[in-house]
Amino acid sequence: MSTRLIGISSLVFLAIYIIQESIIAQFRLPGGGFSILIIFALSWAIMSEREIAAVMGFSAGILMDLSQNTSGPFGQWTLIMLLASYAISYLGYGDDNFFGGALGVVFSIVLGNLLIEMLFLISAPLLGVSIGSFTQIFSTLFGTSVWTLFLTPIVLPIFAKLYKTVFQAGSLT
Amino acid sequence: MSKGGQSRTRLLLVILIVTSLFLVTLDLRGVKLLDSLKQGMQNVVSPFQRTANSALSPVKGFFSDISLLGRSGSQIEKLEKENAALKLELLERQDADVQIDQLKNILDLAGTAGYKIVNAKVISQGSYQSFAQTVTIGSGSNAGIAQNMTVLSEYGIAGIVKEVYPNSALIQLASDPAFRIGVRIVNSQQIGFLTGRGERSAVLQLLDNSTDINEGDILMSRGSIANRPFVPGVPVGYITTVDNSAGTIAQSATVRYYTDFSKLSVLAVVVGGPSTNPGDALVPQKPRPIPTPTVTVFVTPTPTPSN
Repeated sequence: MSTRLIGISSLVFLAIYIIQESIIAQFRLPGGGFSILIIFALSWAIMSEREIAAVMGFSAGILMDLSQNTSGPFGQWTLIMLLASYAISYLGYGDDNFFGGALGVVFSIVLGNLLIEMLFLISAPLLGVSIGSFTQIFSTLFGTSVWTLFLTPIVLPIFAKLYKTVFQAGSLT
Repeated sequence: MSKGGQSRTRLLLVILIVTSLFLVTLDLRGVKLLDSLKQGMQNVVSPFQRTANSALSPVKGFFSDISLLGRSGSQIEKLEKENAALKLELLERQDADVQIDQLKNILDLAGTAGYKIVNAKVISQGSYQSFAQTVTIGSGSNAGIAQNMTVLSEYGIAGIVKEVYPNSALIQLASDPAFRIGVRIVNSQQIGFLTGRGERSAVLQLLDNSTDINEGDILMSRGSIANRPFVPGVPVGYITTVDNSAGTIAQSATVRYYTDFSKLSVLAVVVGGPSTNPGDALVPQKPRPIPTPTVTVFVTPTPTPSN
């Protein structure tokens, strides 16, 4: 992965982060809403090789840790996103990939999103982060999964096109 | 992938994991290495949040209305466009009216208790991923806001100032699972502490197990040393259920906050506490039943004309 490619990808991640923090965060959606940054990072991770996916997950995690809304220690989201992106790329990359077709990709992103939230819930008590009541956790997990399932098919073609544009432009230079 | 490529990927993964763990360790040990970076990032994002808030403010509840538009016919389309524009204008007006109402109530509340406040608009809601309950307001240290100040809504406690930036501040809502506040029960003066649960209800734990608590009992904030993080006498909520299970060390109850955290648009930060404790001056009035007017209609029968 060239320096130029890392630079362009970082700018794209930053733009998605700003959209998440400034526009999507305006709406208090039922069931907790969704994170466009997580959907974006997971969809790019599926399309990438393992090492690129790991770097992407690391970058997305750093941005999430930089968000003022994050309650855990700095680095918690970096670690979670790194592991989730690597795992999803491990399962999804190559000809003999685990997810067949677009529908499989959509479900893998929903499962990846759920895995990320579960990893946060598991690591939170170890790092001294309060997570709320059982009903609240359950409704958030359910709500975010439904939102991700609803939104991923809409944004996936855009993210795929963006990926193609960035990585084709990067490989030509 | 070749064997060399595989080992390179593994090495990269290990380096990144170690870096993440290193960052976590630094943060947990209190080394605020990346605090300035976090503050810089918020300074970058804050203008975007402010702009998006102004632009999207009337549209927030408009999606359901807009989905009804889309029928064919130029006349209908024209009328619908006009209608949509009027609706948008009306929504803007309604949005402003709601904010004015909230502001008026906050000023009444703060004025009665003698709190010195700074008002601010909510410019962004918190994200769900961390299961935290936060909002961002559009005023910061430039307006005199500092960390650990009490934040009020029109009905009472809303939260505390968690982080401050020059032109914005992060508010930890009272519904946040990490939120704790010392409270007293209005009638019995029993004291305890309240813990957020991620929703509008919270858990009250009393320090003394001998006193009775009842449903409907009102809770007020106890106040902290030098009024930070909590000023005394702020309405917090009322008891909805009392946990009477045998064998518990401390008596506990479920409390419903007065503040509806899903409808916050204007908040007030208490920058100066009262000179004297306001006591129970802010205890909310019980709602009075509004009498239903009875309408009596007198009818005089008239004979039906016969042909």
